[in-house]
Amino acid sequence: MTITSTQTILSVRTANANASDNSSAKSSPQVYNVQEPPFKGYHPPQPEGYQQSKASPSSNAIVIDNGAHIVKAGWSFDKKPRFLIPPVMSRFRDRKLNKTCQFVGYDSYIDATTRGQLRYAFDPGTSVIGNWDVMEGVLDYLFLKLGVDGTNGGVDRPIVMTEPIANLAYPRKMMSEILFECYSVPSVAYGIDCLFSYRYNRGKDGLIISSSHTSTHVVPVLNSKPLLSNSSRLNWGGAQASEYMLKSMKLKYPTFPARITENQMEDLIHKHCYVSTDYDKELSHYLDWTGLEDRNRIIQYPFTEHIVVEKTEEELARIAERKKESGRRLQEQAAKMRLEKLMKKEQELEYYKDLQRGLASESKKEAKRILEAEDLKDEAHLERTIRDLERSIKRSRNKDLGIEENEEGPEEVSFPLLDVPDEELDEAGLREKRHQKLMKSNIEARQRAKAEKEREKARREEEERLDNERRETEFENWIGERRTARQALLQKIKERERLKADLGNRKSLASQMRMKTLANLASDGPKKRRRGGDDDTFGANDEDWGVYRTVATGEQSDEEEEEDVNNSLKAIEAQLLKYDPEFTENHTLEAQSDWTKSLVHAFLRGPWPFDAESQREAHQLHLNVERIRVPEVVFQPCIAGIDQAGIVEIAADILNQRFSGAEDRARLLRDVFLTGGHTLFKGFDERIRTELRSVLPVDAELSVRRAADPMLDAWKGAAQWASAANLSVSSISRQDFLEKGAEYIKEHDLGNVTSF
Amino acid sequence: MAPSTPAGDDSHQQLLDRLDISTLPRPFRNPHWKPSQRRNKNVKQLLAETSRKEASVIATQNNSGATTPFAVGTTTTDGTQTPMGGASSRPPNIAQAAQNLSTLVLEKNTRAMFPTGPAATYTNIESAPSLHPAHQKHYCDITGLSAPYTDPKTRLRYHDKEVFGVIRTLGQGVAESYLEARGAHVVLK
Repeated sequence: MTITSTQTILSVRTANANASDNSSAKSSPQVYNVQEPPFKGYHPPQPEGYQQSKASPSSNAIVIDNGAHIVKAGWSFDKKPRFLIPPVMSRFRDRKLNKTCQFVGYDSYIDATTRGQLRYAFDPGTSVIGNWDVMEGVLDYLFLKLGVDGTNGGVDRPIVMTEPIANLAYPRKMMSEILFECYSVPSVAYGIDCLFSYRYNRGKDGLIISSSHTSTHVVPVLNSKPLLSNSSRLNWGGAQASEYMLKSMKLKYPTFPARITENQMEDLIHKHCYVSTDYDKELSHYLDWTGLEDRNRIIQYPFTEHIVVEKTEEELARIAERKKESGRRLQEQAAKMRLEKLMKKEQELEYYKDLQRGLASESKKEAKRILEAEDLKDEAHLERTIRDLERSIKRSRNKDLGIEENEEGPEEVSFPLLDVPDEELDEAGLREKRHQKLMKSNIEARQRAKAEKEREKARREEEERLDNERRETEFENWIGERRTARQALLQKIKERERLKADLGNRKSLASQMRMKTLANLASDGPKKRRRGGDDDTFGANDEDWGVYRTVATGEQSDEEEEEDVNNSLKAIEAQLLKYDPEFTENHTLEAQSDWTKSLVHAFLRGPWPFDAESQREAHQLHLNVERIRVPEVVFQPCIAGIDQAGIVEIAADILNQRFSGAEDRARLLRDVFLTGGHTLFKGFDERIRTELRSVLPVDAELSVRRAADPMLDAWKGAAQWASAANLSVSSISRQDFLEKGAEYIKEHDLGNVTSF
Repeated sequence: MAPSTPAGDDSHQQLLDRLDISTLPRPFRNPHWKPSQRRNKNVKQLLAETSRKEASVIATQNNSGATTPFAVGTTTTDGTQTPMGGASSRPPNIAQAAQNLSTLVLEKNTRAMFPTGPAATYTNIESAPSLHPAHQKHYCDITGLSAPYTDPKTRLRYHDKEVFGVIRTLGQGVAESYLEARGAHVVLK
């Protein structure tokens, strides 16, 4: 089921926009292409980092920011991560080559086969690892690319890894198990990504708002210590946003011919969405005609236009020549035929004339015999034949010579025989009389029709005259009548639309009536025949056939009638336009159902006309309201059906309810810190600033800042932290793992704390 | 989109071979590592397990009777001492000792929590529903604009009568998927 704008009221729409104020035709739109699968080419391994780390194997750590969107990995002495890959793997058995293939990260987007086998490490929409085979594949890939040579039969470097706030025990246990048992690492330290990012940006006291791929966290930090029990999570992030975008697009274009993927939606969100600084105000004018071309973004999907084979000039000329040639040949043939016919006719004429001359000298009986032999009834018949032949010869000669023959008026024929009583006529006379009678009635009928036509014309003229008179004398009444007539027609059109729509609904009255009629028709025949009496009179009355009209649905049913109504509506509107001072171009139905007036059209197709035939336009997505609607969810989660408070309400709640001390609150407010990829939207910080300001006391000092690089600062912070001397204090050593179990963690200022 | 399977020349296969990591040696992996077949669990399972565990721990605490301060004064559970030391006055009872151990761990945890309230867990840091009446704004399900009206038949919110016309022409089930996008659909269990 497609949403269409209400342009269907009138089938014929001219695109004259000058009827409205939307007269300025919009310039041709800028079109954005949709993203291709994010394959990034081959990345060679970088073993030099491993060589460098050999200088101090116990302190140079491998740092992995284990993000649900992108896993970043590198060495603790690096300035930025060496490898950025999405935590996906595609492992399958290639039947043709009979071997198992394994692709990780961007490599798994290389072709359709690998994309088809794509698996995510994280449980969809959460920051919890759900598929450990993929996680192992990702770690394998990273260690391979980082050049780990496994001289001691393992990864003999410390690992620093990020995990979500309040990570569940099971994922941590599994991760430790894999790291210690499969990769035999000497030690591992876990920390929280947004805290690393905050540390990297030199924050000490502040409120971290971290919106990442799977969730949004608000964490208060005082004295460089996170107050995790006062932190809060909103289950909304980049992944949910692209999922929501996908849902909206599928609903907006239900019959979209191409496949829309979540990856593409993610790319669209990155490129076109922004946080509105005043959502409700901006929203209310978003689909307004003015400036819509700037707010509306067109995304073009690849398409193939149905190509009409364009013929070359030469070919066209050749075809024309061939056509002409065959036409000429036909003409020649026809001329020849005509000539032959003409000659034949002339011969015949000659013959009959001879015959006539001969007849004059013959006796009556002989003449009759000759005539009968010639299949002629009498002399009059002969005469008539000769006359006909003469006329047709003359006509064809004229035609050949190109003389315009003026149709001679109906000759005044007299019908002398009609007044003669039958008794006085012989057989031939009677026949002649019958013929004349027929001719006469023919001519009379023609005259009658002509008279009728003239009368009708006169009547119309009279009517128009009366109408004009009436308009001049009692204008008010006249215009009132016209208006009611127009209303009635509109009502009729509406009624028909409703009926049509109702027929689509099985339960509607209209379709139930139709079903009843159908059932009656179907049951009628056999029942009556069974009774014996063949009294089926269907069809005796002309109105019986009307039943098919009521039964038929769909396009063909009453197109004619519709045309009729539309035409009379147009006539009335034309009159109103001419005489009614209050009725302007804008009031016509055509102008009102013009697509430039349609909100739904603006929503679906922007400020440009839509041509359903064009493949190019059918493969376009239009982003308009979605551009602010999707990022807005983080502020108003109820838009997407998330039953949680928005990010500002959460922050305000933490600030106002849990930190009653004015001093603590002031310290937090002095540094509201935004990090995570989902905060990259334009206007995000400004919106946070204005909204927070509105819920804070007037005199509160507020400062909002973004991380220098919201995406990578977590990794950089982790690397920086890992280079510090006391890494081993915060790390779980192999010894700890063996003695205290897989769920054991060491608490430190940037990590989670033990819970049950 | 890139051609789904690029032209069958060798270059693509060569690229595939280069990207394929299945054949590369991985000396850093423990050859004896055999992961459990059923290690993949989704969040729902994990949360169910966690809450079961929490419930059972609380139950143990309730039954143990060890919430009385008998051990607290004498025993420290900071790891410097074996917790069993506090129970030395009692006759050794392995079952009870085991139970006590778990309660002691629990108590340690609760004490650790006291200054800041309950520890953060995956479930309890989830933010609460909005209480602010101003945040319950209605937006049009079709266009996303403000929605002063609700269609009583489909329960869809809509912006104006043109959108209403669209709603009335929606096919079967489409209205429901609009509701689903807003999380207001009916779930039959």
